Amino acid sequence: MGGGFSVMLKRDEWLHLARKLDWDYSYVREDEVFPPVQSGRPWLPHAAWAHWEEPFRTSFAEYVVNQHAKDAAVQAVREALGKLEDVQRLATPWVNALKLHAATLPLAEFAAVVGNLRGARFGRDSAWRTAATFGALDELRHTQIPLSLMHELVQWDGQFDWTHRFYHSNNWVAIAGRHLFDELLLASDPIEFAIATNFVLETGFTNLQFVGLSALAHNAGDHMFEKMVGSIQTDEARHAQIGGPVLETVAAHDPEYAQWLLDKWFWRSWLLFAVVTGFSMDYLTPLEARTLSFKEFMEEWVLDQYVTALAERGMKKPWYWDLFLDALEVYHHMVYVSAYTYRATVWFDFVVPSPAERRWLAAKYPKYWDALDAVWERITARWRDADVGNEFAVHGTAIVSFCDLCQLVLCGGTPARNSANTLEHGGRKYIFCSQPCRWIFERELDRYADHRDLVKRVLAGEAPANLVMMLRQYFGLDHNTWGKDAYGGNYPWLKRNGQTKR
Amino acid sequence: MPVYGFLEGDTIGLLILARKSMTVAQLAQQLQSAASVRVAPRPGLRVVYKEKVLDPADTLEHVGLSALERFDVIV
Repeated sequence: MGGGFSVMLKRDEWLHLARKLDWDYSYVREDEVFPPVQSGRPWLPHAAWAHWEEPFRTSFAEYVVNQHAKDAAVQAVREALGKLEDVQRLATPWVNALKLHAATLPLAEFAAVVGNLRGARFGRDSAWRTAATFGALDELRHTQIPLSLMHELVQWDGQFDWTHRFYHSNNWVAIAGRHLFDELLLASDPIEFAIATNFVLETGFTNLQFVGLSALAHNAGDHMFEKMVGSIQTDEARHAQIGGPVLETVAAHDPEYAQWLLDKWFWRSWLLFAVVTGFSMDYLTPLEARTLSFKEFMEEWVLDQYVTALAERGMKKPWYWDLFLDALEVYHHMVYVSAYTYRATVWFDFVVPSPAERRWLAAKYPKYWDALDAVWERITARWRDADVGNEFAVHGTAIVSFCDLCQLVLCGGTPARNSANTLEHGGRKYIFCSQPCRWIFERELDRYADHRDLVKRVLAGEAPANLVMMLRQYFGLDHNTWGKDAYGGNYPWLKRNGQTKR
Repeated sequence: MPVYGFLEGDTIGLLILARKSMTVAQLAQQLQSAASVRVAPRPGLRVVYKEKVLDPADTLEHVGLSALERFDVIV
């Protein structure tokens, strides 16, 4: 200052004061600064959290420099390879995988901003709060990048408008998405958020999913999506580190609660993950671009490391692990083929797997494929005889049914035996797609019992029962945006016998 | 009366709007028809409710099937 020279402190000399600085309170109690209802359970004095640490130890200046470089790299790829004409050159099924991810990703990330900010205020250690602050900034970026990239595509294809519109609609997938993400990202206290989002969803699923999706996008020639998810993954890899040390402290003081949070959120995350990523990997990626099946990807990238991460912290695999492994063989196939026959209820287009793709799926999923293949054979036969241009000749019209926990369609189990099960509680009847969904529901009845699934809304007169009226009035779709067969049933391998409209 | 129907060979549960005066056989036909885009119609359908195979000539009222309950149709 007044002297002839000044000395800059080295990074390690000041960093701990910037990112991990806690103190004892004199004028208020600790539980008033961190009320249990806001900070979560188990409520422990700060001494129990004082060892909290994560490996990145980023300073704000470093964060800004790193993120600026990442944004510049994304922008460079966008300018070089992310123009409208680049997307128009991609395979049609892959473009629809893009629409699926584009709708389900960005505003869920925006909800995660709120979850991270709650951790940034009510997390129990200052280093946790620092990491959560960066996490909130990360999630804002993960909202803005896809919104910005997809906005340019709306002029070409109105289904891309659902990138922003999806979570504001009453579309059945959006109801399921909100039911999951509202609880996970908006309503969770910082402890549940850290274990459920940072440890289970991000460390367990999305961090590795983004690695796999980035490689898949590369194979499909979609360099913009490859760069986007690759860039997002580097943020996830950092802020996902919040979860491990929170889990370790909770496990040390209340292992039963820690196990409950792990098991509940693994199942809930799995179901939506299977739909979004399973569809993309096994149906909407061109066959020549596929490397691993969704199941192989899960086995190689998700399961081993998740089970190892649990064991390292003294936690067990979920009680339903065998059910989960069986679901890995069949669940997303059940949903995809069912949703294909209700494709007008969503905002992206579907494809019928070709004979070569069905052989590939049979080899990858031998356990139940024969039963699934019979359904594709039936759908193919319906297309063969349908008049050309009559999309609804190969479309369901009956009302489908939904799980009262996950809000997804009742596609659990196998074609031979659906695993749906019912429950009566408080004079009301509920139905669940699986035993784990029912188990979660029964453990937290107060949280879930009053929510009305789509069927109950129809029965209460809140939503129309007629399919086309439901699409238009309740889901917010119209003929231009509702999902169709991407090729109108006109496949080079399928001879059509129906009439052609003149 | 809305009931949840599960047809053997199908991949999704459907909501069937049934009448209590319907027979069990008519209920099976209604579910098969609703699922026909995915499952080819087959003869010899049987309805299972609460782990028991129902008499196809019985009415839904007689067998006690009530709103929002599950039934299965098997071959």
